[in-house]
Amino acid sequence: MSRRRIRATGVSVWLIALLVALVATIQIRSELEVQRSLVGIDPTSLAFLIDDLHRANEALDAEKADLKSKRTQLQSGQSGAADQVLSTEADRLRAVEGLVPVHGPGVVVEVDASGLTVLDLEDALNNLSSGGAEAIDVNNNRVVMGAAISSSGSDVAINGAVITPPWTISVIGDPTRLGIVAGLMMQQLRADRRVRGASYRVESDIVIRSVISEKPFVYAVPG
Amino acid sequence: MATGFVLAGQVKAQLLTPSNQVARYQALVVSVQELEATNSESRREIAGLRGQIDSLEADAAARSAATQDLRAKVDDLRAHAGLVAMHGPGIEVDLRNGDAGSAATGTAYLVNFEDVQDVVNLLFADGAEGVAVNGRRVTPLTAFSGSAGQVVIDQGPPLASPIKVVAVGDRNRMFAALDDPSALASIRAREVEFNLHLTFFGSPDLSLPAYDSSLQIPHVTPAN
Repeated sequence: MSRRRIRATGVSVWLIALLVALVATIQIRSELEVQRSLVGIDPTSLAFLIDDLHRANEALDAEKADLKSKRTQLQSGQSGAADQVLSTEADRLRAVEGLVPVHGPGVVVEVDASGLTVLDLEDALNNLSSGGAEAIDVNNNRVVMGAAISSSGSDVAINGAVITPPWTISVIGDPTRLGIVAGLMMQQLRADRRVRGASYRVESDIVIRSVISEKPFVYAVPG
Repeated sequence: MATGFVLAGQVKAQLLTPSNQVARYQALVVSVQELEATNSESRREIAGLRGQIDSLEADAAARSAATQDLRAKVDDLRAHAGLVAMHGPGIEVDLRNGDAGSAATGTAYLVNFEDVQDVVNLLFADGAEGVAVNGRRVTPLTAFSGSAGQVVIDQGPPLASPIKVVAVGDRNRMFAALDDPSALASIRAREVEFNLHLTFFGSPDLSLPAYDSSLQIPHVTPAN
């Protein structure tokens, strides 16, 4: 074996060893990172976390299936396939962003109270969103994340429109999950001294006619 | 002798219980790690699929003016939904856990999901056009949840302190809102009590990544 070949073999061994060490370090560091982030969480919270992650992964699987179907449609090269995919996407995104009226199953939550604040409304909306809300309306005002919720005297305003009690929150989404969330909300609301009355009902078809006007970007540059 | 057996059994039970608890706890942690790995892989795959679709749509748009027009509308909708990366002037907000006090104070020294929710809502109410939390883009359907120092955003894995909220939009308005001593009351109170950290600064150009999870709305149908 020539000296050059021996040297090349030696360099290869060192490179492989270096690579293995690098991969091992990254793996150990990433596992430590995860373990560190989980330190101090009690078993019950971990169990809830597992449940949430299962649900999240199922939702991601559904999204992947939908995207693969769109890709297949586009790859087919059939006349009008792209227009069909784009039109369907536009309709879906308009509904996501609250730009069009929508309907579907869900729950209607009614809260009659005095002195409720911006944080109360934001918490209620976030609870319902965590429960799978796909479209929300409060007293005929469409709400999505990013809506400006602010104080207006003793009341609350959504995108500048004052919301006076009672609040009627109409939510479209999985009625079973939303029903559970609404039930839990009722327990909290009924224990709140400011609340005169709180109730909810599950409905098979809720119509939300309110819409949001899309604001053009002034500062943000896509891309 | 019987007493000896009872005592031995008791000692064994006391020794086994904690170790079983540890094993059970470790099993739960391993489950979380595995699910997080799957979650991360799925989000990577979704980002890749969206890239491929974008490229196929661009090819189709190059062949038809009508498709090009339709694609421009969808691109705009995607940008507003958080499906497109964006950049521009903005604010970066950093939140960090404070110092653990006595056992009675519980987890109040930790940054929780309500803190993140409050910061994001404040920024949107005061000029943000797009927001991301630790690199996770906020969308019109975003929800925050979690427990004791864990922040779960949509279908992502839990985040923990330090939390970095980046918002692109009207930098001056957002800065003024964050600087208002009456805003973010819970965070400010815990800043004093537990040394929870809230810092923010403006920047002429910040970047937000595209959303990489699901925006499915299976129960919603457009109404006529």
